Amino acid sequence: MDEISPTARGTVPALTGVTRLPAAQATSDEFLLNIGPQHPATHGVLRVVVTMDGEVVKDIVPHIGYVHRGLEKLFENRTYEQIIPFTDRTDYLSAIANNFAYVMGVERLLGLEVPKKVEYMRVLMAELNRISSHLLWLAAYGLDMGAFTPFLYAFRDREEIAAMIEEASGGRLTTNYFRVGGFVHDLPKGFFPRLRKFVARFGKAVNELDTLLVENAIFVARTRGVGSIGRERAVSYGMTGPCLRASNAAFDVRRDMPYSIYSSLDFEIPVGRNGDTWDRSWVRIEEMRQSLAILRQAMDGFPEGDHRARAPRNIEPPAGEVYSAVEGPRGEIGFYIVSDGTRKPFRVKMRKPSFSNFSALPEILRGLKIADLVAVMGSLDLVVPEIDR
Amino acid sequence: MRSAEDTQDALRKRFPGIDARPVDPAPSVTVPPDALRGDLAFLRDELAFDFLVFVTALDRPADGVVEVVYRLFSHESRTSVVVRVRLPRDRALVPTVSDIFRTAEWHERETAEMFGVQFAGHPDPRRLLLPDNLDGYPLRKDFTHPNLIRLPEVP
Repeated sequence: MDEISPTARGTVPALTGVTRLPAAQATSDEFLLNIGPQHPATHGVLRVVVTMDGEVVKDIVPHIGYVHRGLEKLFENRTYEQIIPFTDRTDYLSAIANNFAYVMGVERLLGLEVPKKVEYMRVLMAELNRISSHLLWLAAYGLDMGAFTPFLYAFRDREEIAAMIEEASGGRLTTNYFRVGGFVHDLPKGFFPRLRKFVARFGKAVNELDTLLVENAIFVARTRGVGSIGRERAVSYGMTGPCLRASNAAFDVRRDMPYSIYSSLDFEIPVGRNGDTWDRSWVRIEEMRQSLAILRQAMDGFPEGDHRARAPRNIEPPAGEVYSAVEGPRGEIGFYIVSDGTRKPFRVKMRKPSFSNFSALPEILRGLKIADLVAVMGSLDLVVPEIDR
Repeated sequence: MRSAEDTQDALRKRFPGIDARPVDPAPSVTVPPDALRGDLAFLRDELAFDFLVFVTALDRPADGVVEVVYRLFSHESRTSVVVRVRLPRDRALVPTVSDIFRTAEWHERETAEMFGVQFAGHPDPRRLLLPDNLDGYPLRKDFTHPNLIRLPEVP
């Protein structure tokens, strides 16, 4: 399995079309197929070079870095507050989870306690964000597989979440809502009635989506048993989130490295059995149901209080380092922040789930047919800016 | 099932100097480069630290070192441990651990291009994110580039 064909690694073929390997390097009918950097199936700017034997994938080499923005270098030249909006832009589908991980890290560096209400607001926002991200995945994945209708259903509900998040933060995708110690402003009037209405309705909508796409016979035929990865390999590749849980590993940062108020909430961790493409899809559907349960509990226990702690105006954490992780929609989002006692961090390392999940692609795909490539890549739920940072 | 306490005891036994850095509660240990592979294999096989969360580095020009940081997590005991290797900046060479943890392959490629750390025995030492024509190691503190303009200090 670990054998890497030297031809595919050594030569980078032209950006378009099919390249035939030099006769001396090719065994049998091998050729190279280039997919990307601009291709609808990649959902962003990345490129994979596939060594094919007929329609069987022999090897696959991902090329990334097309949208690398050097954010970690940039962070070293920004103050702690100025970094928050950048964390949105690493993953435009889970800006809130990224905000969450970063501000929590800075708060730990400062030793800052946040009010109870802030914790509840953060959990509400994070779970809404998870549902909205899973809905977008479902919509786009359906399109990948040739199913157009689920897209419309998923976006109907996603629109409602986007509107609620916009009402609260002013932004739909890159919200920049979190601040060190709390939020930039409180939840607006009328937020809770709207949320209650959504929560009451959405349970039925998930069932709809489940039967429409994930339980659909054609979908099952294309995904069940395709692209499975075992528990040990998945862990060794550093996979997290739904992709890992599909491989029968019950690891969830919310439970195993508890943060905020998650240890006081009651929710289940859905786990797949085979680690195949269908399991990865099913886990996400199930997670939306669990997020709904969390939303209900957080709404019921929502306390009164301030939406912001008394944080210092200039944030100058004492020297030290911290790793703060949250369970994002795609897996473990972690910020490793090293402070040297000044207003700018000495180093910020972003640990991103898509990066590790994507690195397992060659392992998952070797030996499958080319038609499975799109199904497998879509099921990993990649966000390219997050891979490249 | 190994408990968190057992793991902490076993860690203290193997690494007598293990300490926690300020703020981060995870125990942290600095090991010599030639002991790294043995120690990480020990942590994975004996103490069930099966998940390499990330590999990165810290450039410390004042000490003349690049510090490579490996953070591990155990799904069994739900504990973390940080292993560090301190390398001279002008000759930063450390053995690869990509055969122990497969995820290290990409993390090491990124650390190599960003910090100029060489990972001996790496199966695929190409650049990962950076273009081939960029000189220097961007995350080193003394990196300069014509397009990199420092912001004026905020009063």
